[in-house]
Amino acid sequence: MSDHSDIPSARSRGMLACTRCGAVWPIAAEGTDCDRCGHTLHSRDTKSLQKVWAWWIAGVMAYIPANLEPMLKTRTLVMESESTIVEGAFDLIHHGDIPVALIILIASVGIPVAKFGAIAYLAFSVNRQAKLSAHGRQHLYELVEYIGRWSMIDVFVVAILSALVQLNAAAQISPGPAALTFALSVIFTMLSAQSFDSRMIWDTDPAPNDPTKKDPHLERH
Amino acid sequence: MSDTDTPTSVTIESARTSLWERASVVWLVPMGALIIALAIAWNHWQSRGPLIEITFSNASGIRAGETEVRFRDVTVGLVEHLTLEGDMKNVTAEVRLDKDVAEYVDDGAVFWVIRPEVTTRGVSGLDTVLSGVFIEGDWDSEIGASQTEFVGLENAPLLSPGEEGLRLTMRAVGEDGLSGDSPILYRGIEVGAVGPSRIGNDGSTVLADAVIFAPYDKLITSTTRFWNASGFSLSFGPEGASVDFDTISTLIAGGITFDTAASGGVPAQDGDRYDLFDDESEARASLFSRAEGPEFELTLVFDDNVSGLRPDASVELSGLRVGRITNLTGLVDPDRFGDNRVRLLATMALQPERLGLGEDGMDPIEFLQRSVAEGMRARLTNASLLTGGLKVDLVTLEDAPDATLDLDAEPYPVFPTAPPELTDVAATAEDMFNRVNNLPIEELLQSAIDFLNGATSLVANEDTQSTPKDIRALLGDIRGLVGSDEVQAVPEQLSTLMTQLGGVATELNTTIQQLNEAQLVSTLSETLVSLQGTVERANASIDGVPQLVERVDGVVAKLETVPIDQLTVDLSELLKAVDRLIDTPQARQLPADLSQTLTEVAAVLRELREGGTVENVNTTLQSASDAADAVARASDELPTLVDRLGNLISQAQATLTGYDGNSQINRDARTALRALTEAARAIDGLARTIERKPNSLILGR
Repeated sequence: MSDHSDIPSARSRGMLACTRCGAVWPIAAEGTDCDRCGHTLHSRDTKSLQKVWAWWIAGVMAYIPANLEPMLKTRTLVMESESTIVEGAFDLIHHGDIPVALIILIASVGIPVAKFGAIAYLAFSVNRQAKLSAHGRQHLYELVEYIGRWSMIDVFVVAILSALVQLNAAAQISPGPAALTFALSVIFTMLSAQSFDSRMIWDTDPAPNDPTKKDPHLERH
Repeated sequence: MSDTDTPTSVTIESARTSLWERASVVWLVPMGALIIALAIAWNHWQSRGPLIEITFSNASGIRAGETEVRFRDVTVGLVEHLTLEGDMKNVTAEVRLDKDVAEYVDDGAVFWVIRPEVTTRGVSGLDTVLSGVFIEGDWDSEIGASQTEFVGLENAPLLSPGEEGLRLTMRAVGEDGLSGDSPILYRGIEVGAVGPSRIGNDGSTVLADAVIFAPYDKLITSTTRFWNASGFSLSFGPEGASVDFDTISTLIAGGITFDTAASGGVPAQDGDRYDLFDDESEARASLFSRAEGPEFELTLVFDDNVSGLRPDASVELSGLRVGRITNLTGLVDPDRFGDNRVRLLATMALQPERLGLGEDGMDPIEFLQRSVAEGMRARLTNASLLTGGLKVDLVTLEDAPDATLDLDAEPYPVFPTAPPELTDVAATAEDMFNRVNNLPIEELLQSAIDFLNGATSLVANEDTQSTPKDIRALLGDIRGLVGSDEVQAVPEQLSTLMTQLGGVATELNTTIQQLNEAQLVSTLSETLVSLQGTVERANASIDGVPQLVERVDGVVAKLETVPIDQLTVDLSELLKAVDRLIDTPQARQLPADLSQTLTEVAAVLRELREGGTVENVNTTLQSASDAADAVARASDELPTLVDRLGNLISQAQATLTGYDGNSQINRDARTALRALTEAARAIDGLARTIERKPNSLILGR
């Protein structure tokens, strides 16, 4: 396993590092608490993939009603409307507000869907041969971690609108059921990404310096 | 490699751990989510009601996913889809009903669309302006046969959901028609509504559904009549002009009102049909002529062109309206009538049903022909004394000249007419007023006043008031007179008088003795014999009595014919004369005269006492006393006389018994004898009384 790597890992040196404070301990300390910060020490999180998949499934399940149920309930003097995320975006497109519609579509549909795909890909590629290099996957993971929080932008918009537009009879905006499920979906996806032990990317990486593997890596950048 | 230990240990650990130990707690999260999702889905499925289809002619305002179905303003369903029907004629709304009401939406359910409406009766459905239209449904509280396809109503039903009432059908029979969507008022209160009106199948009547809200539905019976209250009426009468309309809303939008004019009707049932009349009088008149049938037109030609007959004037038969005048024109036809006079040509529309000639009755033409042959004629008479309007009366005249119903005339058969019978009301009234004016009211009043004045002055006269005083004085004088010694002495003198009367009696006795000696009894016997002859003759004459009785009857009959009335009149006149007499100054003077007379009487009495009159009386009484003495003497002889008389009577009785006991004469004779006996007894009693109390002759007791 680690034999194929020319870069020695802590594991291969009989050591393990605390994932919270970074303190290095002998591998015998596996399963005990870190003397410095009290975090449980694991050379590799054996349940990582399970957690990833569990959160991932929960995230996907929450994401379905988030797109089917209305996100915003808008009630004005003359009309009352409910619209899902996609309906709202298309409404905006119909009104000619394409940039905003694109932002909503990317933030609420594109990014979450991409995250699901990315996490699933990373989890799958741990145990089998991946086309993407370990570096590429590491970057992908970092990107997923970084960008995950921005998915909440839609929830924030709904929360702010609901709080601001409360003009009694004239106009009222309240969050629909999708707001809750979308927020849950985002949270589950973030937890899924966090649960992924990125060290596993490298455990199976045969040759990071292999030039043939570098091309896709570079393309990714 | 020094790290062979580590993989070994890791491998052993992972191999040893069971599935539960290896499984992460995080799996609970998607499992929980799955359970929640399934629960929500199950719950949603469970509470989902059935889908029904409601068909409308248009879907104005209805939107899929937005338009609600409401029952009593509670949302019970939502339109899910809106589709055009295959034949492109209707729109079908698929409605997802709430599960808890679904079973009540049975075959009796109705649906209609509530839209904002602004009518003359008000604004309705205002809330739908902002919220959009909704479908209102109505169904009862009983579960009936289930149904999933409904046809929506064009208009809201007259009875709102939850309201109870009586459903009727209105039929306008008049020319005014029927303005739909108007209220039904009863004494100004809205108690019902009329729905949209439509033309009936016959093309001439206007129909409309109507409802009377509970509890006013009890007001409707079979004798209820409805009429149009819309608009206003302007009428001129003796009290002046009056404008009449029910409410402003009826003035604008029209309205219907009703009244139950006759009792005894049966309560109305749902679906009953009522006629709507143009006005109140027509509605009330219809109570007594229920059937309105086709009209039957006739032409009338009146020789005199009298003003006052107008179109729509009534045609009456024995006071019952059987038709009306529909048209009036003048007619000049020298060829037909032989002169150039203008005649009045009237077209009369008769209603055979009012004549009692129903559909199964006699042919109206036949009836009229027969009536005309019996003398029926059309005659103009006064309809109203005040307005001078005329009407046509169908009367049967005994002495009517022969005429027939001219069936060949165009355009209508000609009905014969009779000369008009018109009253000049003004002349009659003037005459009556003149008579009243000529009555001597003022003189009468003057006489009454005079009489009362006379009576008052009579009563108020001093003499009248002083009369009682004078009477009292007179009585005092009389008392004084009676109390005087002279008067007191009268009884003694009477006693003397009685003694003298005794003497007279003795003389009488002597006379009687002489009479006795003079064979009185034999004379009597002879007399009686002659009496017998007389009686026989009398018997013969008794036969004439019946004639006498007849005469008496005649007299009585004449008496009966005596004009009592005249007598009463005479009496009245007498009383009037008395009245006049009382009114005379002499009558008024009467009390004064009376008073004066009493004064004079008092004076006479005084004179009597003073002037020795009493003494003269005493003297007279003395002589009377002497006479009484003679009587006393005579009375000694009286018993004997009486005995003799008794004997005489016995003999007479014996004689009379010889006569027929039953004859009239006998009875009379017995009566006479009884009278004689009583006379004898009276004389006997008198004698004894005089013996016992001589002064009773004077005092009378």
